[in-house]
Amino acid sequence: MKLTRGSFAFPGTTLGYKTGTWRIQRPEHAHRRAPCHAECPAGEDPQAYLALLDEGSPRDAWECLVSANPLPAITGRVCPHPCETGCNRGQYDEPLAIHSIERFLGDEAIAHDWPYPVTAAEANAPHVAVVGAGPAGLAAAYHLLRRGLQVTVFDETSEAGGTLFSIPDYRLPREIVRAEIRRLLETGISFKPNHKLGRDIHLQDLQQEYAAIFLGPGLMQSREWNVDGVTPTDLHEGLHLLKQWSDVSSLPEMKSAAVIGGGNTAIDIARVLKRNGVDTQIVIHSSLPDPEHPSEEDMRAIPREIDQALEEGIQIHDHHGVKRLILRGEKLTGIEIVRMRKLRNDKGRLHRVAFEGTESILHVDQVIPAIGQVIEPTGMENLLNGSSWLKVDEWGQLAGKDNIYAGGDAIEGNSGTVTEAVGNGRIAAQAIAAKLKQQELPAIDKSESIPFESLNMEYFEPAARAEQALLPVEERVGETEIESGLSGRQASREAKRCFACGNCLRCDNCWTLCPDSAVLKTEEVMVDGSYYVFDYDYCKGCGLCANECPSGYIRMLDE
Amino acid sequence: MSTNNQAITSEQFVHLRKNQPRFEGIESGHRACLGCGEALAARLVTEAAGPDVMIANATGCLEVFTTPWPESAWRLPWMHSLFENAGAIAAGMEAALKAQGKHTKVLAFGGDGGTFDIGFQALSGMLERGHNVLYVCFDNEAYMNTGIQRSSSTPHAAMTTTSPPGSERMGKRHLKKDILSIVAAHHIPYAATASVAYPSDLRKKIRRAMAIEGPTFIQIHSPCPLGWGHDGADSIKVARLAVQTGLFPVIELERSELIGSMPIRNPRPVTDYLELQQRFRHLFDKDDTRAVEELVHIQALADHNIKHYNLRGEGMDALDSDGADSVRRGGMRWA
Amino acid sequence: MRKALEGSQAIAQTVALCRPQVVAAYPITPQTHIVENIAKLVADGKMDCELVSVESEFSAASLVLGAVSAGSRTYTASASQGILLMSEVLYNIAGLRVPMVLTCANRAISAPLSIWNDQQDSMAVRDAGWIQLYCADNQEAVDTTIQAYRISEATELPVMVCVDGFTLTHTLEPIDIPDQDMVDTFLPPFNFKRALDPASPTSVGTLVSPDFYPEARHSHHHALLNAADEIIAADADWKQLSGRSAGGLLSVDGPDDARIGIITLGSVYGTLSAARDEYPDLPATKLIKLRAYRPFPIDALHTACTGLTDLVVLERALSPGYGGIVSSEVHAALSGMATVPRIHSFAVGLGGRDIPLDIYRKLHDQIDVPEPGPFTIIDVELEKLPVEDHGSEQSASG
Repeated sequence: MKLTRGSFAFPGTTLGYKTGTWRIQRPEHAHRRAPCHAECPAGEDPQAYLALLDEGSPRDAWECLVSANPLPAITGRVCPHPCETGCNRGQYDEPLAIHSIERFLGDEAIAHDWPYPVTAAEANAPHVAVVGAGPAGLAAAYHLLRRGLQVTVFDETSEAGGTLFSIPDYRLPREIVRAEIRRLLETGISFKPNHKLGRDIHLQDLQQEYAAIFLGPGLMQSREWNVDGVTPTDLHEGLHLLKQWSDVSSLPEMKSAAVIGGGNTAIDIARVLKRNGVDTQIVIHSSLPDPEHPSEEDMRAIPREIDQALEEGIQIHDHHGVKRLILRGEKLTGIEIVRMRKLRNDKGRLHRVAFEGTESILHVDQVIPAIGQVIEPTGMENLLNGSSWLKVDEWGQLAGKDNIYAGGDAIEGNSGTVTEAVGNGRIAAQAIAAKLKQQELPAIDKSESIPFESLNMEYFEPAARAEQALLPVEERVGETEIESGLSGRQASREAKRCFACGNCLRCDNCWTLCPDSAVLKTEEVMVDGSYYVFDYDYCKGCGLCANECPSGYIRMLDE
Repeated sequence: MSTNNQAITSEQFVHLRKNQPRFEGIESGHRACLGCGEALAARLVTEAAGPDVMIANATGCLEVFTTPWPESAWRLPWMHSLFENAGAIAAGMEAALKAQGKHTKVLAFGGDGGTFDIGFQALSGMLERGHNVLYVCFDNEAYMNTGIQRSSSTPHAAMTTTSPPGSERMGKRHLKKDILSIVAAHHIPYAATASVAYPSDLRKKIRRAMAIEGPTFIQIHSPCPLGWGHDGADSIKVARLAVQTGLFPVIELERSELIGSMPIRNPRPVTDYLELQQRFRHLFDKDDTRAVEELVHIQALADHNIKHYNLRGEGMDALDSDGADSVRRGGMRWA
Repeated sequence: MRKALEGSQAIAQTVALCRPQVVAAYPITPQTHIVENIAKLVADGKMDCELVSVESEFSAASLVLGAVSAGSRTYTASASQGILLMSEVLYNIAGLRVPMVLTCANRAISAPLSIWNDQQDSMAVRDAGWIQLYCADNQEAVDTTIQAYRISEATELPVMVCVDGFTLTHTLEPIDIPDQDMVDTFLPPFNFKRALDPASPTSVGTLVSPDFYPEARHSHHHALLNAADEIIAADADWKQLSGRSAGGLLSVDGPDDARIGIITLGSVYGTLSAARDEYPDLPATKLIKLRAYRPFPIDALHTACTGLTDLVVLERALSPGYGGIVSSEVHAALSGMATVPRIHSFAVGLGGRDIPLDIYRKLHDQIDVPEPGPFTIIDVELEKLPVEDHGSEQSASG
């Protein structure tokens, strides 16, 4: 080293001094699951497709979305969207309208006929049979195909869709169901309609002919209902009325009805009846949901649907049960209802208590039970062994059955949503593919999602949530869908509201705020999904980047 | 789950460093403390100013931590002479470049000591004579390089090694000098304050000053973790609170007229700012009536600033104290 | 072409011939006339430079430092308090090894306040690391100013041209101002290789650790020592062009066999030279004109003093509590000679006190003693002081 005259120095020569040696903590990019991702029963990562949408690539966003859920136009309409309940933005202003974005992307794909990003399986690939073309079966078929397997789907009806056709049109138009499923089946899934298990096909045969079987039978039979053993002779069950409405667009003659039950079927049939001029009330022993105080006693139907039903003039008698049917001869003229609550007895067990003196009469000419469905066991008797449910492990594999998997509403403990059925199909397909290809099965990600407190709200601005237009009550007639989708402009603006929880927002904050220029911006996206690298040669570990990362994507680790 | 991938080679790092999509006036390897607000401010300033500049830097932390011979962090022609003459050195550079018919912009950098105090006269002379120089004061509110002694920029009641609290004192007895008004009173075309917590605003002001022919002045509030007694990771948070409380008004003056300010959307109580910093810890003794009085005093100073500069925002504004630092996907902050 | 000019006017015109691009100054008596004349030249379009009238000497020095660092030839001038105010910058300029020329219109230092001439100001910054050249008359001031630019730019050391205030700066003399072609021939265009440049951005004014600081000082010291050759060469080259020498490092005037020498800096040389003619009966005396005070020309001084029995050091400043500043250095410098002359140390003409011709006789009286006395301010009139301030018997004897 020779001293320069006047002791001048050459530019940028501090690079020779590695300030990284000062560090006792290092920043790291730490991807953590966004709550929307962790909460999605279908396994979607909404923040990932919101990011792509924000970047102006709706098609990429849709491809990202259908990498988990091939039925977004459908689930975007009917899912109770736990993603939005979990969304961290809900603790700042309002959650992202994820379901509206999902629907938007699904509708865009249909409108533009974007092909699903799959290729048909090789002719010699293992072949899997899927029984039941409802959401679980279709999702399983699609994910099996994505993994290079051949798939044949059997359904007892003439059309794929299963339980989706029992959802009324004003919520889920049939043409959407048909369009999305048609496009899905065109990916190379072989569909065999009018094949009923136990009648046209048999498990033993399928086991012989196929490398594996996925069962998605659904719950196609209504749960039995009576009051002290009594039922009216002209009793119509909610599920069957919905099917009838869906198939032939007509309902039995009635003036007034009391629907019994608090699930989506109850709400759906009540609203269909109302649209057909029937004065409809709902009786349910659980409570109307209160968004401020969610409770286990809440009705199971989607809160949004309940709200809309109330708007449409359907009276809901919550915390009530039917005490007595009032019959004139065999004809129902009314029901006596009574206030009830779930209370703990002295053994600590919950039971329902009816309160004497709270009885009242509803004058109705029909009582329509919608208290749930059960499995239709034909052809699966040996699997069920008298149980009402199919019992599977976390990968959907039936206990003790090597190559038989199941998913959807028929699974024990299932919440009964379309989205969960899709998730079951996806997970089972993953397990089946791994088994048939003799690959390792990665563990299911059960990691905690990133909490609100890990984000930095200083970098976000309040912004109103995109709301889908809703028909005014007076225009909610017939089969017209009452919610319309977001416009492209609305959708992309909504995508900008995403906090990118636990992921790189590419906002440049770390790069902008590092006093040591130890964060470098990359030209291409890095494999961790970010556009930045830490130059540990110079990073002093001050932690500024971690503090100021809006999305909680940087954490400090001890050296 | 961590998918941190740093698997890039040192050659790729060198390539990346050379190809950052911004001008890097100060290189890594400088010796600033962890979370140094001044290092960040200087980086942002030089980034916005670009390569065609010449810098006169007063004695201080910035000078010391960037140029331990034989190394220099600067990628710009840069000169340090003395503590009190940055204004005059810059004026000389400007006179020389003018004589040579060159258009390189001269920047002068000083800390608050080198600007408010010892270098004030040279600064005043430079402003009065109308040199085409952008003077940037990195205001960290005390003599940090010499070990945290009070300057005329040190805020009221702050503890420094020469304004310690004790039975007869509650930290600095005097007020922070209003250097901006004094500077602006030279009738210069542009004088502004900025904060490291609002980089876009800061860069915008630098670019604005760069475009003006004549003397301009920008005072940048730059937290000093060591001197203020806060975690280096909190430098931005602290700087932001200084603005959001009203204690550090972010304003612009042209020919000494107030022409712009960053509105405060939701003024925060000064205690939110003070409690993060050890230099104010003596104000949080609830049993000490003097401490209580000083807190009220400081709140009154903040309220006075808000009133005097009319800082209270009217609703949400993208460029207010909450909006001006908002980010978006793909970078491209405001301005 | 010889013209009757005031010293300051001559210096200003000479500075203009050297084509500085930036001039900065702050007014202080007796430097003012130089800068006023430059201002007039600029105002009349006869000098093309950025003239910056700054708010202090500190900024004057700083401004020219900034300007030279940005690649321009510069000029400044000051005196007395101004030199002291800029002293921090003077050290800085020299340590940064940048070329520039400063005229010091030598003046006493306050307190007590005096606007008159002595050399306490430039002596106070003796160790700043500048080349210091003292001028005996205004022609030397002109020639030295031109040479100073060449020396400074060749050595990358700043040069302080010391010109006695009033005595020279405000005195009308016939002076030969060279023409522009001659100066241009002598002085190449300014080209400072270490000038700051956005195209190759270096950093100047770094922090140097103990590992290199002594080396920096060594280098600076030797640069000054080595500058002696350039001072000699510049003077020789200038003589070839103009026919005039300004006296190299030092010059000697007097018979070779003289046994007495008097060494001086600045204009007092002229007084002694005239006095020597007035007192032809006094012993033969060599007058040694020390032009380069820094670097201090030890070898040339040895040569000049060879054969002397008595050497008078006559200076215009002092180090209170010690005595002569120059004399102590002369003492040390001559200690290596085979036969060291007796050294007599006097200060004279402090704060503008007149130096009459009979100083020459007085000096001869003073050295006619068995042993040289202590340092003495030669014309102090003790009766003007209270008794308790008379000092010791011995030191007051002069």
